[in-house]
Amino acid sequence: MAVMSYLLETVQEQAQQAGAVRVRAINLVIGERASVFDDSLLFYFDLLTPGTVAEGARLNVRRTAMRFHCATCRENYSRVDDTFCCPRCGTVGRVAADGSELLIESIEVES
Amino acid sequence: MTTIHTVAVGKRLLDGNDQQAAVNRARFQAADVLAVNIMASPGAGKTSVIIRTMEVLRSHARVGVIEGDIAGRIDADRVLAAGAAGAVQINTGGNCHLEAHMLAPALDALDLSELDLVFIENVGNLVCPTHWALGEALKLCVLSTAEGHDKPVKYPEIFAVSDAIVLNKIDLIDLVDFERVRFYESVRVLNPHAPIFEISCRTGAGVIAWGDWLRQQLPAPVLKRKER
Repeated sequence: MAVMSYLLETVQEQAQQAGAVRVRAINLVIGERASVFDDSLLFYFDLLTPGTVAEGARLNVRRTAMRFHCATCRENYSRVDDTFCCPRCGTVGRVAADGSELLIESIEVES
Repeated sequence: MTTIHTVAVGKRLLDGNDQQAAVNRARFQAADVLAVNIMASPGAGKTSVIIRTMEVLRSHARVGVIEGDIAGRIDADRVLAAGAAGAVQINTGGNCHLEAHMLAPALDALDLSELDLVFIENVGNLVCPTHWALGEALKLCVLSTAEGHDKPVKYPEIFAVSDAIVLNKIDLIDLVDFERVRFYESVRVLNPHAPIFEISCRTGAGVIAWGDWLRQQLPAPVLKRKER
């Protein structure tokens, strides 16, 4: 709820600056590490947008994954089960992509 | 005629909160106060860590506490009884985390000029508090051994963003099948540098080492004053 109300505040500001009459789409980037889920975003989006410039807008969420690098296999991998170790050889990897994004990338507006 | 165009935004989802956090941060800095945002599950021992830390820093820092809870003021009363120079309770009214704007009245109520260190005890939760900057200088994650060594894998964000990690209830480690090696391994993947302190608020084990480290993080003017 709180995430969505701050998000909409920024979207409304940006829409106003762009002289928009309507926001058609909101493009977000949300990383795996942030643990923010689509259903809760959409639930509060539908609850909070009516009567605003973003009413009826599409909420597009691009997901970024946490990726790790194994120095032994020289390959990247995603987490499997309850460990960050390489699923192939068991080496402790390092973070290759942290999946920490929590970003409003752009909005598509009508003016 | 209607035109459609894309506006690049490139802002954090919580940009509004970040701006208020910057205002809070400036207030802490202006008063030479070290602000520590304590994040943990309910029952990990946040309040007990504050009380133990106050004991070891008693002659080094004047400590204030901002207690975030969904309801009640039990924790504020506990830290005042334990010697906090000031304590303010924030009731979030159902919110599962503190937000920067909630701190403004608490900062008005605490006399920052009479404090060196402020603990901000967040609402017990391993996910939401991590997204909300409050204006702190340090984020502290408290985990208790009873919660299990797998928590960094299940809740990576809190371990990735913390500046220090306290592993509490270390006296229980052999009773709760907490695998130390796996815990350290996972934390180090996410966060290679944050110091990890094993402590027990019940027995006092490890508390002095943790307190020493925290004391060294105090603003330079505070450290200088204490050396005199």
